[in-house]
Amino acid sequence: MNAEVYKPTDRALPGPLRVALVEDQREVRESWARLVGSFPEFRCIATCASGEEALRTLPALRPEVILMDIFLPRMSGIECTARLKATLPDSKIVILTASDDDEMVFLALEAGADGYLLKRTEPESLRAALLDVWKGGAPMSSVIARLVVESFRQKGRGQADTVRLSAREEEILVLLSKGYTNKEIADRLEVSTETVRTHLKHIYEKLHVRSRAEAVARYMTARLPRAEG
Amino acid sequence: MVVEAGLAGEASPSGTSARGLDPEWGVGAWIWDTNRFDKQTCRFWRAVDIPSDAPVARARLRITADNGFRLLVDGREVGRGSDWRSLTEYDLTALLRPGRHVFAVEAFNDRLEAGLLAGLVISFMDGRVVEIGSDTNWWIVPREERGWERRRQPGPGWRPAVVVGAFGAAPWTTRPLAVTEVPPLRPLELRFWQQGWFQLTLLACCGATVVYCVGLMVRLAGQREAERLLQRERVRIARDLHDELGAGLTQLLLLAEVARKEPGPWERVRESLEALCGRARALSVALDEIVWAVNSRRDTLRDFVSHTCKYAQSFLGQAGVRCRLEVQADLPAAPFALPSRRNLFLAVKEALNNAVKHSGAAEVFLILRCGRDLVTVIVEDAGRGFDPALLPADRNGLANLVQRMSEVGGHCVVESAPGQGCRVTLEVPLHPPTTRGWKRFRFGGSDPPGAKAAGELRAMPMPCRGADGRKP
Repeated sequence: MNAEVYKPTDRALPGPLRVALVEDQREVRESWARLVGSFPEFRCIATCASGEEALRTLPALRPEVILMDIFLPRMSGIECTARLKATLPDSKIVILTASDDDEMVFLALEAGADGYLLKRTEPESLRAALLDVWKGGAPMSSVIARLVVESFRQKGRGQADTVRLSAREEEILVLLSKGYTNKEIADRLEVSTETVRTHLKHIYEKLHVRSRAEAVARYMTARLPRAEG
Repeated sequence: MVVEAGLAGEASPSGTSARGLDPEWGVGAWIWDTNRFDKQTCRFWRAVDIPSDAPVARARLRITADNGFRLLVDGREVGRGSDWRSLTEYDLTALLRPGRHVFAVEAFNDRLEAGLLAGLVISFMDGRVVEIGSDTNWWIVPREERGWERRRQPGPGWRPAVVVGAFGAAPWTTRPLAVTEVPPLRPLELRFWQQGWFQLTLLACCGATVVYCVGLMVRLAGQREAERLLQRERVRIARDLHDELGAGLTQLLLLAEVARKEPGPWERVRESLEALCGRARALSVALDEIVWAVNSRRDTLRDFVSHTCKYAQSFLGQAGVRCRLEVQADLPAAPFALPSRRNLFLAVKEALNNAVKHSGAAEVFLILRCGRDLVTVIVEDAGRGFDPALLPADRNGLANLVQRMSEVGGHCVVESAPGQGCRVTLEVPLHPPTTRGWKRFRFGGSDPPGAKAAGELRAMPMPCRGADGRKP
């Protein structure tokens, strides 16, 4: 994730972010929990071994950020994201993937995820990325930006067509897809990085709104990633 | 009762009237051609019309010749004989259906006297009997005539036979020794597999099968080629796994062991662990790359583009060079075969590496386009540039590019000039050359475009890019 270094002075946090983990492998789950807990900005409040467990326990805990493994037994991380997002619209969900699979990540973003992380991300980047996600404007890779632009340009998606990108939002996405960083985009458009981040936040929201307009069921049966592989 | 009139009709030579058959032996007179010589073959022809209103009850033909004969009825050989003293009797009842029938006799004379003796007796159901003997009503067929035994009418140049002696007269005074009876002849019934249409169909089927088999063989050859390719890939994957992952894991292990055994201060342990993390991360990237290269689910152009963009961004990002991507919108999800995408990707990698190492440029452009069947990748920088003519041929990474492209039927152009930056254009056909070879075989045609592998280094000034590209 091409995250920018987060400066803690940007915004004062009321307390550590409450983070939940959904990951089926015990060792990985515990390591991630320790890694997340090692930062003063975060506190790991729950770990779940499956999507079903997450759906049972997380709505009551209302974590602020949920780290979601994409490959889970039975219910996939994508489906779990779609279901959790329906009950916890304010929680930010970050998809964790072992391999860099854009199509899958894009699917997750459409299902309601607010960002994604490679499992091999360095701890410092992880911290920055989580804070970015919490602030709404998760960084977007050029490939994902291109997929987002293309998906919004696609016709024939029924009533979801009513959600459209503004000209500025599309401009930002196109620049992202050309490899510009948020900072460079801000310079080029003569706005602040904060504005770029806000635009990104809106883009994510539109993506989610649009996918919510479609049936959540879309993620439930047909597109289980394991079955595809 | 002798009723011959109206039976033979115009098929008999005019003039001589029919004579009755010998009452005891039922044959006519000895007949031959007007001239006679040794080693002579004489052909006799006679047509008989069987009326349609009266079916034949019985028909028998007695025949002999001095010295031998071959008898054909309606073009079909029914028998031979070679002893003039014995008569052969053929029962033709089943053959003489209503309509015209042609009797053809090929008689052979060895030396001296020559003659043909025959008598045909046909009894009809209504009681009529027709007797046809060997007489002047038979035609002599000239030697050069072809297909005469099947002719329905006598030819224009044919002559009537002449009687060379009555039955029992000299020189054939001996009475026939015996009458050999041949079992009744059955009309030839053509089975369906003997019919022309069937044989033609069979032949066509055989032809089609042969064509199909040849097609299959060619396909098989293509498949074998694909298999060979696959085999090569497997060997390569195994090597990659061993070299990259195996060696990497060994390093991890070593680093971990060193960290474990580290007696020194905590800082040293930490350093070891950090090296271990970095190495593990690199290994994870390497694994991703190997898996990407072999994953059949990633065999599309879109995946290639995504992967290449990501690689360029991360590679250039680490080198502190800005990466600018220009990807054609709406790239088709067309399949992009493994060898092509692998070689193209490695070539792009090489080009990016060259740009970072030599150009000194602050940003590198990566442009990806796809035509109807050509994938184009351009790596461009505005750095130092070089004069391709001055580049030593043996030690430049550009030769690698050319080699990689030619392997997959692609094309590589490197344009550069000192101070003008450098542009590497890589072009690869969407479909690998193996299938193209098969197509060429199939259509026996011209060289497909792009099949000729070529790479070149061209020295030329770099054209200025528009305002949309580089910022001053």
